Amino acid sequence: MNKTVNINLAGIFFHIDEDAFTKLQHYLEAIKRSLTNTQGREEIIADIEARIAELFSEKTKTDRQVISIREVEEVIAIMGQPEDYMLDEEIFEDEPSYTRSKVTGKQLFRDTDHSYVGGVSSGLGHYLGIQSIWVRLLWIILTLASSGAFILIYIALWIFVPEAKTTADKLSMRGEAVNISNIERKIREGFDDVSGKVRSVDYEKYGNQARTGASSAAKGFGSGILLLLNIFVKLIGILIILIAGATLIGLFIALFTVGTFGIIDAPWTDYIEMAGIGAPLWAISLLTFFAVGIPFFFLFILGLKILVRKLKSIGTPAKLVLLGLWLLSIIGLAVLGVKQATQRAFEGEVVITEVLPITPQDTLFLAMKYNPDYSSGAYKTDLKLKFDEEDNKIMYSTDVRLVVKSTKDSTGRIEIIKTADGSDYKDAKQRAENIRYATSFLGNELFLNSYFTANLNDHYRDQEVRVVVYLPEGSTLYPDENIASFHRSSDYYGNILNYDQEGNYLKIAENSVFCESCPQTESDTWDEDSWDNEDEFDGTIDFEGGDSTDNVKIRINGKGININKDETNKIRISRDGVEIQNN
Amino acid sequence: MNIENTKAQMRKGVLEYCILSVLRDNDAYVAEILDTLKDAKLLVVEGTIYPLLTRLKNAGLLNYRWEESTGGPPRKYYGLTDTGKDFLKELTHTWDELQTAVAIVTTQKNKNHE
Repeated sequence: MNKTVNINLAGIFFHIDEDAFTKLQHYLEAIKRSLTNTQGREEIIADIEARIAELFSEKTKTDRQVISIREVEEVIAIMGQPEDYMLDEEIFEDEPSYTRSKVTGKQLFRDTDHSYVGGVSSGLGHYLGIQSIWVRLLWIILTLASSGAFILIYIALWIFVPEAKTTADKLSMRGEAVNISNIERKIREGFDDVSGKVRSVDYEKYGNQARTGASSAAKGFGSGILLLLNIFVKLIGILIILIAGATLIGLFIALFTVGTFGIIDAPWTDYIEMAGIGAPLWAISLLTFFAVGIPFFFLFILGLKILVRKLKSIGTPAKLVLLGLWLLSIIGLAVLGVKQATQRAFEGEVVITEVLPITPQDTLFLAMKYNPDYSSGAYKTDLKLKFDEEDNKIMYSTDVRLVVKSTKDSTGRIEIIKTADGSDYKDAKQRAENIRYATSFLGNELFLNSYFTANLNDHYRDQEVRVVVYLPEGSTLYPDENIASFHRSSDYYGNILNYDQEGNYLKIAENSVFCESCPQTESDTWDEDSWDNEDEFDGTIDFEGGDSTDNVKIRINGKGININKDETNKIRISRDGVEIQNN
Repeated sequence: MNIENTKAQMRKGVLEYCILSVLRDNDAYVAEILDTLKDAKLLVVEGTIYPLLTRLKNAGLLNYRWEESTGGPPRKYYGLTDTGKDFLKELTHTWDELQTAVAIVTTQKNKNHE
């Protein structure tokens, strides 16, 4: 007694035994698989189904007759094995590429007959030609070394690498050629019932037979080169998989640690918080994850496709969804970026002027006041996040610029100029006003804070503080050594304080300073005018001579030799080279 | 080299030509084409022909129409398109040339051996 099922084959109704149905179903599935790379697959399948229906109709005498496994087997004998449906492309293509798929027909399948988990390792073992135990060991090591992240690659392979179901698949997996002769032999041996147990004895015997055949066929110079080429292509595939896989894993880890739970306190999280982008951190992380991750995911699939010829497609809907997601992420990031840019369109400035009771007779000691809480900062322009004394989150920066200028007024003054960006002028000005910066004047000592702070909800908008110290001409300035790094790049603002003058008493003159106690330093450049300024050059050998028409001067010192005739013809030999000027 | 492989390839190589030839004078449906080819021992199993027909159809050499049949599913009747006819003429020409060439070469070889 047999259970039957009803099927509709090409629009015709059939009763069919359950085991016969299973066999037929597997047969059709196997055909579908062998036509993976063929155009018009659905149409071909429909044609085949119609033909099978026709054959069944011929075999059934009455409507009540049931199709048994015998009829199915007869039909399969007529129709041929799944491998027969594969067109030998090289025969029909315009440019024949003979033996390309024949010699190295090895394909990546999952070997579920010898599997522990998903058959990935044993499949890889067949593919790489090593024992699967080593592959398994490698998986374990890599998984432990990457703290579990490699499991993701394993799962990806599990999903995307097809299982070796048919004998042809299993032969391909082992690298045995699936060619016409093998198939003819196979027809004689009979078709493996894929739903049932694999006839491992037959399979092993057959596999071994084919292997010896294949290995002898693979001998030959031309096939060797093709083999190398193939290996090269596969290596590229592996490389792509590794790069894309590693990136994906990195992104995953980043998403789940930084983006969501904030486990790692990375610098950019502070930045994002301060930037006030207008979206929560996890949303930005997710957008970035999709924007970067999806292209790498496709790259990963591409790498797999290079390795696995019969790769299951992830399907058009999935592709479209991913593409849409990617576009949305890009658009989202772009919108946030534009928003962020408009937030900085205007610059606002607030100037606070304080009187500095310094007269031309006085001496001012100028120093920076450091606060150990607000002093770290490898880069001056960085804003940093910090909890203040009341445990509020605030931002601070050491982007303080010091400018020293002279004034004709009888007393000095300080201008504290705070600048910030904003979406409009008012917004920028308000933000600039919110910058907290302090100076202190005690006796004749002026202390400038080395930092300023701002509220977190003002966000990071290029806040800066510039302190301009106006000193009356004739007064004396003693800059502390610690101001050195704060006036380095202030020349643009009219700073008159030179480098390396810290720690000296400086006389303020009109738009310049005069160093009273500086050790005599030679100026860095050999000034043309210095020739006539005899006082500046001590310890040099000078020679002046010539007659009424020739006026020759020669100077030799540590810098080099300078020969000068009539002020127009010059020869100069120095560490910069030899310079000859002849007018 | 595998003799079975070469034999199968030779057979497959002329299959396209033969299918077009079957359809030269009148349209036919798959089973008829198959019968002709199987009678000529050109085809062992039927499977090979389906991808081939689809390919020829996609290449614009063949078209088909549906026709109802008694007792079975509707049948696809294939026929040559104008391109297909030109293609067939070209192939026939090539085939004749090839036949002559092969005949010359093989007989010459025999003479040399004798």
